[in-house]
Amino acid sequence: MMKNFLAVLTLLSVSVCQAGTLKVKLVDNQALLLTNAVVFLESETLKNSYDGEEIAIMDQVNRQFSPYILAVQKGQRVSFPNSDSIKHHVYSFSRPKVFELELFKNRRAQSMLFDKSGVVELGCNIHDWMLGYIYVVDTPYFAQTNADGIVSIDAPDGDYTLRVWHPRIQDQDIEKKRPVTLTGDKEVTITLSETLAPGKDEFGTDADEFSDYD
Amino acid sequence: MINRQTFSTLRARILLSYFLFLTLLVMVTFYVVQSTTYEHSTGQLVAHAQASANVVKDKVISRSNALQESLNTVSKDFSFKQLMVGSIEDKISLKVALQNYQRRNDADIAWVLDDKRNVLAATTTNETKILRINGQDFTHRDIQLLYIEEQFYLIKAAPVKYVESSRNINGWLIMGIDTRRLITPELVDLTDMDVTLLQLGAHHTVIGTTLSSSLTNQLITLPVKKEAGLHPFDKPLHQYLYFADMFAQWKGTPIHILLSTHEDKAYVSYNSLLVQLIAILAIAGFMASAAAMFLSNGVLSPITKLVVVANKIRQGKYVSRFPTSSTLEVASLSSAISAMQEGIKSREEEIQYLAYNDSLTQLPNRNHFYKYLKEQISKSSKPLAVMMLDLDRFKDINDTVGHEIGDTLLQDIANRLKAAAYPGVFIAHIGGDEFGIIVDDIEGQNPNNIAKNFSSLFERPFQIQQLTLDVDVSIGVAAYPEDADSAYGLMQCADIALYSCKGLHYAIAQYKPELNKHSVQRLNLMSELRGALALGQLSLYYQPKLSIKEGRITTVECLIRWIHPVHGFVPPDEFIPLAEQTGAIREVTHWVLKEAFKQQKIWKEQGYQIGIAVNISAVDLVDMTLPTYVAELMSEYEANGDALTLEVTESAVMSEPESALKALNTLQRMGIALSIDDFGTGYSSMAQLKKMPVDELKIDKAFVLDLANNEDDQVMVRTLIALAQNLGLNTVAEGVEDNQSLSLLTDMGCTKAQGFHLSRPLPAKDFTDWLEEYENKEPA
Repeated sequence: MMKNFLAVLTLLSVSVCQAGTLKVKLVDNQALLLTNAVVFLESETLKNSYDGEEIAIMDQVNRQFSPYILAVQKGQRVSFPNSDSIKHHVYSFSRPKVFELELFKNRRAQSMLFDKSGVVELGCNIHDWMLGYIYVVDTPYFAQTNADGIVSIDAPDGDYTLRVWHPRIQDQDIEKKRPVTLTGDKEVTITLSETLAPGKDEFGTDADEFSDYD
Repeated sequence: MINRQTFSTLRARILLSYFLFLTLLVMVTFYVVQSTTYEHSTGQLVAHAQASANVVKDKVISRSNALQESLNTVSKDFSFKQLMVGSIEDKISLKVALQNYQRRNDADIAWVLDDKRNVLAATTTNETKILRINGQDFTHRDIQLLYIEEQFYLIKAAPVKYVESSRNINGWLIMGIDTRRLITPELVDLTDMDVTLLQLGAHHTVIGTTLSSSLTNQLITLPVKKEAGLHPFDKPLHQYLYFADMFAQWKGTPIHILLSTHEDKAYVSYNSLLVQLIAILAIAGFMASAAAMFLSNGVLSPITKLVVVANKIRQGKYVSRFPTSSTLEVASLSSAISAMQEGIKSREEEIQYLAYNDSLTQLPNRNHFYKYLKEQISKSSKPLAVMMLDLDRFKDINDTVGHEIGDTLLQDIANRLKAAAYPGVFIAHIGGDEFGIIVDDIEGQNPNNIAKNFSSLFERPFQIQQLTLDVDVSIGVAAYPEDADSAYGLMQCADIALYSCKGLHYAIAQYKPELNKHSVQRLNLMSELRGALALGQLSLYYQPKLSIKEGRITTVECLIRWIHPVHGFVPPDEFIPLAEQTGAIREVTHWVLKEAFKQQKIWKEQGYQIGIAVNISAVDLVDMTLPTYVAELMSEYEANGDALTLEVTESAVMSEPESALKALNTLQRMGIALSIDDFGTGYSSMAQLKKMPVDELKIDKAFVLDLANNEDDQVMVRTLIALAQNLGLNTVAEGVEDNQSLSLLTDMGCTKAQGFHLSRPLPAKDFTDWLEEYENKEPA
């Protein structure tokens, strides 16, 4: 949260005068709000990599990835600390970043650079239920929806392509994008045409089986 | 015939119906049990085949599930995922690893697809196009097949997710097992049937089978019914039964599983059951038959014994022990036969008594007499006497005083004889008025004397209902062993002696061989009499009757004479009574009448008007054809009624007065004169005489022969003539032998005279001569 907040602050500081806030509300066809969805504004002129020092954190808490979905800008580093008392074996076979952090515990791992945009699916080789996503965007204007399914992105005025991503968004909506022209504040509601795929919580309660070991 | 007789016995019928019933029962039982068992066996077989099909399918499914499980494990393996991800640069590592996994799972084919269905690695080199399948289709629990390189494979697929909890499927791990290897001999052991997987068509595609290759080749072209149930194959595999079931689908066409077996094997338990059933039924049938035999013997052997007993009774042997039986019906039959025997016995005794005893006199009868005599002769050779005793003129007594008194008389005589009997004397009532006496052991006695003793019993008259009857008897005596040595012979000899008594008017006659000859001759004469008529041995003699008033011969009595070529003259007294007995008298009378009429016509032509008198017997009077015959003769010879006189004896009229009267009336109406012959010797009733349509009385010669010298006769004749005159009847005196008698008769008013004084009976020609001479002499 902290880094999101910092990112937003950074964005705000860059364009003070000719800037506005885009408020996006995301609902599916059942009028359900989608939280944690990555919402971002793309533009051909904004393809530069991350130039900050901030290292994003994908922690393992309570035998789950935390956060579930982590959005980072291309070129940012992410570290994978282990807050649990047991070992994890975190890996990814996703094309933007293939890596493997073999069995580690209480160790501050070295951060890894995510320099290709796209979805990086994270798993743990010894805990099949563990699933996490690092979504690498090619823009500095991005944010994740809050509990009300609402996100606010501050960006300079201009023409953008508004895009959303969430693992529960199904095939038909996965490439959902719409052009948006930002002049000052603006509110947009994106309605998905499909019902959301089952959420992570709905896959089952595997995680709880091991709670006794804590 | 033998068969029919065999089947008509009770035993055969019982057994036959029993066997029929048993056969029916056995057949019905057999049919029901057999068909039920067959149905049951078939049902079992169908169930077994269905179960077998399920077992096979289950086997295959569990094999495929095992494969699926294994694939699921492999697909989660991190190293495998690494190899898969790394296959972009290092394809061969993935392929070798795949081969390893294939070996581990005893599979025959394996390959890996990525999320775009691209083949990342495969253990087969060809058919990459076929391999690009939708893995999702091969994850279900049922059986999925794939046809690769001319071969069917059981295919299983497991999704590969790089992150297990992810929704994304990053590829597919797929393995297949050659279906031929699924159909193993182990299945034959398990199901006890042959298992075949095939795709049906004009030529079936056999995917896998436990059948031999030759059977498989034959099977390929045979039609297969898909309905549930057992079906036989067409020829040449018609001895094989099969059960078809759906196994799996491939590209929309069904793959079938066929469970087949040889029918002998299929019905082996049924067949053995059938053999057992037949054996049980055969044993039951045999035992039931034995029981039936035993039962029928129990009933029938007493019946057979009863038949033997009944046959014995039929033969006249009496049985004291009757077969017993516990069967109520047979026991009552046995006692009924026993009672029947008692009945037969008592009736036989009664019949015996009746057969050997006379019911009137209570004396032994003729049969008894004969039997006794026979026994006596066979017992000893001591001399004995056989006597036949006959009442004289018993018929007259019967006729006069009635049968009731006649019967009483016979009883009295029997009692008198019985009273006179002493040991060694056997008395019998032979029949009618004849009694028989056997006197045993007459050694040194004269049979005649013994006979006299018996005849002396009749010197005292019999007193019956205020009547005093004097009875004379004749006794014929025969002696054993002199006269005959057989019972029959002795009886005959005694009879012959008796007849000779009658003829000679002796009271007692002892048998002499000459008598026998005479009697034999008599019998012969009877048989010759009819012939004699035809042969002309009979002739008529004529004796004149003088009309005293007119002094001329007005009538002749026609008397029959038999001149036998051997025996010479046979007196009418001998053959006429016999002819009356045999009935030949009618023909004799007819002949006499015809001859007489013929002769009368001759005389008429010669100028003599002479009436003819013919004797007729009692038999003729009863014969109602006589008047008709006489009428015929009269018209034939143109004679007048008054030209004929019929002479009838008193006894002839009296024996059957009713019919005699009828005949006589008829004859009188025809103008024929009727005369009572031998008047005065019988027991004529005056009342009867009064009713009789007679014209004259002939006074018996017994009163006339000695008329001139006997004053008693003169009184009698005078009385008779007076009686006749008073009744308006003419009189004829017979036996006039001298002129003195004729004078007396003339004085007495007698109408006619007849006798040797005039002429003895003469043949026709002699009579004509005599008549001519007499008529010439008369006037002189």
